[in-house]
Amino acid sequence: MVNQRVKPILVAFTLFLGLFAFGTKASAAEPNYVISTDATYAPFDFQDKNNEYVGIDQDILKEVAKRNHFTYTLKPMSFNAAAQMVANGQADGIIAGMAITDERKQVYDVSDSYYKTGVAWITKKGSKIKSLSELKGKTVALKSGTAASNYGLSLQKKYGFKVKYFNDTDTMYNDVVNGNSAATFEDMPVIQYAIKNGLDLEVKNPNNPGNAGGYGFFVKKGQNPQLIADFNKTLKEMKADGSYQKIVDKYLKSDQKNFTGSSADNNSTWGILRSNKKAFFDGLVQTIELTVAGIILASLWGMVLGLMGVAKSKFLRGLSTTIIYAFRGLPLMVLAFFIYIGLPGVIGTKIPAFTAGLLTLILNEGAYTGAFVRGGFEAVDRGQMEAARSLGLPYGKAMSKVVVPQGLKIMVPSFVNQFIITLKDTSILSAIGILELTQTGTLIVARNSQGFRVWAIIGLIYMIVITLLTWFSNWLKKRLD
Amino acid sequence: MSEEKQVKVHVDKVNKSYGDNHVLRDISLDVMANEVVVMIGPSGSGKSTFLRMLNQLEMPNSGLVEVDGYDISDPKTDINKVRENIGMVFQNFNLFNNYTVLQNITLAPVQLGKMTKEEADKRGKELLATVGLSDKADKSVNSLSGGQKQRVAIARALAMDPDIMLFDEPTSALDPEMVGDVLDVMKDLAKSGMTMIIVTHEMGFAKQVADRVVFFESGKIQESGTPEEVFNAPKNERLQTFLSKVMQA
Ligand SMILES: Nc1ncnc2c1ncn2[C@@H]1O[C@H](COP(=O)(O)OP(=O)(O)O)[C@@H](O)[C@H]1O
Ligand SMILES: [Mg+2]
Repeated sequence: MVNQRVKPILVAFTLFLGLFAFGTKASAAEPNYVISTDATYAPFDFQDKNNEYVGIDQDILKEVAKRNHFTYTLKPMSFNAAAQMVANGQADGIIAGMAITDERKQVYDVSDSYYKTGVAWITKKGSKIKSLSELKGKTVALKSGTAASNYGLSLQKKYGFKVKYFNDTDTMYNDVVNGNSAATFEDMPVIQYAIKNGLDLEVKNPNNPGNAGGYGFFVKKGQNPQLIADFNKTLKEMKADGSYQKIVDKYLKSDQKNFTGSSADNNSTWGILRSNKKAFFDGLVQTIELTVAGIILASLWGMVLGLMGVAKSKFLRGLSTTIIYAFRGLPLMVLAFFIYIGLPGVIGTKIPAFTAGLLTLILNEGAYTGAFVRGGFEAVDRGQMEAARSLGLPYGKAMSKVVVPQGLKIMVPSFVNQFIITLKDTSILSAIGILELTQTGTLIVARNSQGFRVWAIIGLIYMIVITLLTWFSNWLKKRLD
Repeated sequence: MSEEKQVKVHVDKVNKSYGDNHVLRDISLDVMANEVVVMIGPSGSGKSTFLRMLNQLEMPNSGLVEVDGYDISDPKTDINKVRENIGMVFQNFNLFNNYTVLQNITLAPVQLGKMTKEEADKRGKELLATVGLSDKADKSVNSLSGGQKQRVAIARALAMDPDIMLFDEPTSALDPEMVGDVLDVMKDLAKSGMTMIIVTHEMGFAKQVADRVVFFESGKIQESGTPEEVFNAPKNERLQTFLSKVMQA
């Protein structure tokens, strides 16, 4: 806590700094933290019917912030990415139903346990499998990076099962429900909540959870001790004054419909569409923004790479080849993680998810564009350049007036193709928590378990946008001829 | 330089190799203003390489190339200025596919600020009339026959009002019935006093218009002289063999 006498001085000082740093907000008297989470983890972290982030974790965090006078920006994304965000200093803390383990204590500082947990092993309801040894040779679904998955993995050798990894809880559950995987490991309270709300699964060890322990709030080791102290102090107070129990009851005792909406809203495609129309619309807008900005900037960058690729200078040609080689070879998701999670630790500034996503698209799609732009220019007969230069036209004019227009015409189909690929590739950026269409779908399914309907809707929206994009491209093609 | 004997092209001991392939060997040649020089010789003897060196489409490895007094074997020379004064006509025409016939002709003079768009259009139409293609001005170049294309290419080069014209086998890619039209245009050009350097296999044409015929073989000028000397009294043995082959065909 900031000393009351020091606070006004701090405020004045901050205002003073604010005056110099034109436009930056002067309200920094209350610290603002970036907190990451995985919002596919009901009842701890999920999106309710109003697309607000709620759950036991979220309500506790809100209360801690209120009582300690700080604000925070929530960054929901896949669990693995969310944890790495903190480890790399991109986020100040993570609350995501994250179990306290000895390994994690090496990397993070952790609060007192705020919820008892342990690992359950789970099969499809009515499955004949009775003991872990019957999993021999069968496939087990695990969510990458979680404590439950590590526990499952520690049993793999002993029981001889195969392992398949998932990035979000719901897809993992469905793999077991659909019979693709025979079993899964998950935190006891989470799976019990999901089953209570109608998931067709069965816990096999309700009375003796593996690795019994607790959930904690994590910060990077050695950073933000104040945040941990605030959390522990408020947690104690909340347990004493009953507000902790109130939060737990709110999620575990009440009907799930309070959070997920009525069955009419969830059990028909039309209902889902109607009750989530704002979320779908916002996701669509984000997808379109990423796509349009991505297409324009990647095309420009690709043109630069392509022109460099046919330049007279050996150095420029080599540079172009190297850049194209590097970024075509890099999977989009790796590049996104590298820019969003890896880079900030090195350069020391946080990169907003949208910027990181856009940069990823520019570098990746730009490399593919650069390759076919170079190819298009090379496909223009060399005699065209020679004739232009022989008339006295300088290289730049010969390129822009003769070679580029002919090359572009050759490239039009490749451009149209790349536009569509760019649109589809934006879905991969859901991994860094950008709330585009795919991430929107993930969050809705995590809440209502209506995978088939939600993904059908999302798929249809993509197809409509792709159709419009194709029409636009064809119209552009005609205009160019 | 005296008025009558102005040297337009001065080449001295030029060498050019592609890897181990020594293509031009110690070649020297002067071309005077208003002179028409025809270069003959077997394929692969270095004629195109030599011609392309005269406007720096190729750089020699050693030796001196001067055009209009500019040393273009020196990479520091502003080649664009020199090229404005040298027209080049290619075997494959190389008309700009993305422009109409008239636009092909007007592009360079307008882009280089030699003429306004209107002046260039007017001049372009005059040139199209001289090559007999007035009706083709607004056609796409791909709708033309080979002979028409080559006449447009000549008009395009002339639009820059050059002092020197280079021709690299201008009729070799044409159907036989088209050859005459193109050669007629070139004959008129020679009559008008243009300095021309022409690579061709049209021996009849060479006899008619050349002031000098130069025989290339193995990257060397083996013999040069008036058409009478070269065609009627060839001294070089390889020239004799070459002539007997082409005359038979
Ligand atoms: N760009 C090039 N790279 C390598 N070799 C070339 C190149 N241009 C021409 N040559 C070679 O140089 C020689 C002379 O070619 P060229 O000047 O085209 O002869 P010509 O026009 O008399 O038929 C040939 O052996 C040809 O293969
Ligand atoms: Mg040749």
